[in-house]
Amino acid sequence: MEFKKTQLKNGLTFVGEINSSAQSAAVGFFVRSGARDETDRINGVSHFLEHMVFKGTNSLSALEVNEIFDRLGAKYNAFTSEENTVYYAAVLPEYFSDAVDLWTRLMRPALREEDFDIEKNVILEEIAMYKDLPQFEVMDQCRLLHFGEHPCARSVLGTSESITALTAWQMREYFARRYAPNNLVVACCGNFDFDQTCRLLEDKCGRWEPIEADRPIDYFRGTLQSQRQSKSGLTCEHICLMSPSVSMQDPRRYAASLLGMIVGGDSGSRFFWALVDPAIADTAVMQCEAMDGVGAMITYLRCPSADRERVFEIVQDIFNQLHEKGVAQQELTAAKNKVLSAITIKSEQPMGRLVNLGFNWVYLKEYHSVADDVQAVKAVTVDQINELIKDFSFSEFTRYCIGPE
Amino acid sequence: MTEKIESYILPNGMTLLGQFVAGVESASFSFLFPGGNALIPDKACGAAVVLDDWMFRGAGPYNSRQLIDALDGLGLHRQSGPSAESLSFSASMEAGNLIRAIELYAEILLRPRLEEEQFEPGRQLALQSLAALDDDPRQKVSFELYEQFYPDPLGRPSVGKEQDLRRLQPEQTRQIKSALFDGSGAILAVAGKMDFNKVCRRVEDLFAQAPAVKSPPPPLRPALRGYRHIPNEGAQVHIGFMTEVPPLGSPAYYQILAAVSILSGGMSSRLFTEVREKRGLCYAVGARYHSHRQIAGISGYAGTTPDKAQQTLEVTLGEFRRLCRGIAQDELDRAKVGLKSSLIMKNESTSARAGHLASDRFYLNRVRPLEEIRDSIESLTVQSVQEFLSGCGFEEFTLVSIGPKPLEVK
Repeated sequence: MEFKKTQLKNGLTFVGEINSSAQSAAVGFFVRSGARDETDRINGVSHFLEHMVFKGTNSLSALEVNEIFDRLGAKYNAFTSEENTVYYAAVLPEYFSDAVDLWTRLMRPALREEDFDIEKNVILEEIAMYKDLPQFEVMDQCRLLHFGEHPCARSVLGTSESITALTAWQMREYFARRYAPNNLVVACCGNFDFDQTCRLLEDKCGRWEPIEADRPIDYFRGTLQSQRQSKSGLTCEHICLMSPSVSMQDPRRYAASLLGMIVGGDSGSRFFWALVDPAIADTAVMQCEAMDGVGAMITYLRCPSADRERVFEIVQDIFNQLHEKGVAQQELTAAKNKVLSAITIKSEQPMGRLVNLGFNWVYLKEYHSVADDVQAVKAVTVDQINELIKDFSFSEFTRYCIGPE
Repeated sequence: MTEKIESYILPNGMTLLGQFVAGVESASFSFLFPGGNALIPDKACGAAVVLDDWMFRGAGPYNSRQLIDALDGLGLHRQSGPSAESLSFSASMEAGNLIRAIELYAEILLRPRLEEEQFEPGRQLALQSLAALDDDPRQKVSFELYEQFYPDPLGRPSVGKEQDLRRLQPEQTRQIKSALFDGSGAILAVAGKMDFNKVCRRVEDLFAQAPAVKSPPPPLRPALRGYRHIPNEGAQVHIGFMTEVPPLGSPAYYQILAAVSILSGGMSSRLFTEVREKRGLCYAVGARYHSHRQIAGISGYAGTTPDKAQQTLEVTLGEFRRLCRGIAQDELDRAKVGLKSSLIMKNESTSARAGHLASDRFYLNRVRPLEEIRDSIESLTVQSVQEFLSGCGFEEFTLVSIGPKPLEVK
């Protein structure tokens, strides 16, 4: 694999990891734009805008866009988070330039009023869909409670009220502020021609005007409050815990991710033995979510509602034990093996490498090869994890529960 | 896309399949046993899912904790679970751990401890997962749909049934284990960076004594079909629907794939365009092919708010019927390139390759080379797909809805 990068005069960055023996290639347009860049008034606009990008340009209708992608046999979609909107496509090598070309055109969408009005219904349906999925709802509500006044509190989807009130004009104004070339990274992986792609990007995106698109990245430890919402018709207790953790810029994020695996991996972890194996909870997982300048350890638990107090006690006990005794070498070794094999498996497909390549550049302006990641995971020591536990008080957390009345 | 698929039959009848993949560092395996939920006696629905949990709670020389530690120590990414006709156990890993992982699975599959005190937590977890389906109507509707559509026992929900799970006994579950795990019909497929001869030698040592257990296929009772509504005061109405088409292995298989792709392949497909893009009725709408050995269907899902549910149902089923009135050349061209791309990209993953080898052998009794699949897709014509579709009609649908009030079914 070979890494190459370049930057256009207007600030658009292009990074590529070339693997000429791959059978496919993947492209991603990473826009530094998410719920944290919104205001409460336009909450949900980043995600709605992601949908609107697929509605075409001044010279392409939505149907034409979908037909072109499908004619390329592309596996394509997009996702929006608190801080990124990522558009991607994986294709066979012979269709790669056409896929990149189409995305460059879509990055300057028409945002037509009539498309906006129809798609608003789809967004409202998506919000309703997640209302019927308490495992997602509890995460959203916990994030809101944990981050309080911090911008990361905002829901990615927005609320039915904010979406209903949103106008196409507000979206165009938001688009103009966030989709600037200097706020965009194009990442490509797999079997593709870097120089040819460079020329294409220069030709299609070289005239886009840069605009200041910064964001404040204050650290926040969380409100550490607790709330419960009762909802008729539910059967289980859905519990989300959030405690402060490392940011994407913090080199300790490898240690934090291994700690998540030790405490809340889906098998063999502390949660597994204390909660899932004895059937006290049927789901108990924890992972580190490192973000721009801020981070959180996020736990999700699902159990019979009557057992929730017992689950709280067990979880508290696990966190107390961590603070008192730290982690053991054997736990760390098992966690490393799981993380390392996941890296190996995922990196065998260009699409599996794409997100890693793109985000490393968005957050760190660094390239990390598979070997670099493997090395960074292997280098984590028990002492580093125990230091991390001391620095971040995982036993103090924000808690949100949704369960039956 | 050249490939070499190797095979070896053990003296006890077990089939080994292997495919070396160049340029990867991982290996994956997939064990498939020809016994699933449909072969379990009546009133024990869910026994296979309890058994699946129980078998990992200690095997051979390892107690529960030692076994999980050994599996995790190899960094295995594992999956297992029952379907109606088979039990599968698969894992992906760094290639150097393959033989050791197969050795551990030999203990789990042939010598699970099945200790009395480890049974109850497994049963409780199965009951909790079943209860959690009530909080996930979107997933629940698909279990309910299969139960309504397929003849019993093929439609049994793999998550089990509450009263059956409550009355299930350890000894009864041990007997079910003995009856389900037929060594002579077992398949082990391995793909990735591996030496097939070495795998064969080790597997022969480990599985040579796996006993043959022949169970006749279960008699099928008539399917319920029709429409069923399950009341629920959620934000959305969840609609599942299914219509019968020929099963895997039928000459019409590739025509069915093309039809499903035109309906619900990419974003230019008919359901996405008509239901979501033009009318904004749904966020989630789609269709897929689902097959057992003898019977299959195209199933679909649409989730929408209650005031749009009736229109969503009518537009969605209307698209199935409109499909029978003809397809365009460019629609078929897009479907073909989509199917070929999926085929190539899916096979970049060693776990997908192992899964393909095992399921082809199980359902078709042979492994289709990728070239054969690609050529079959390539040779599809508008005429051949239309001939298949005009024979379908898509008039009969099994329907399940979960929502505030029943839909009007015409």
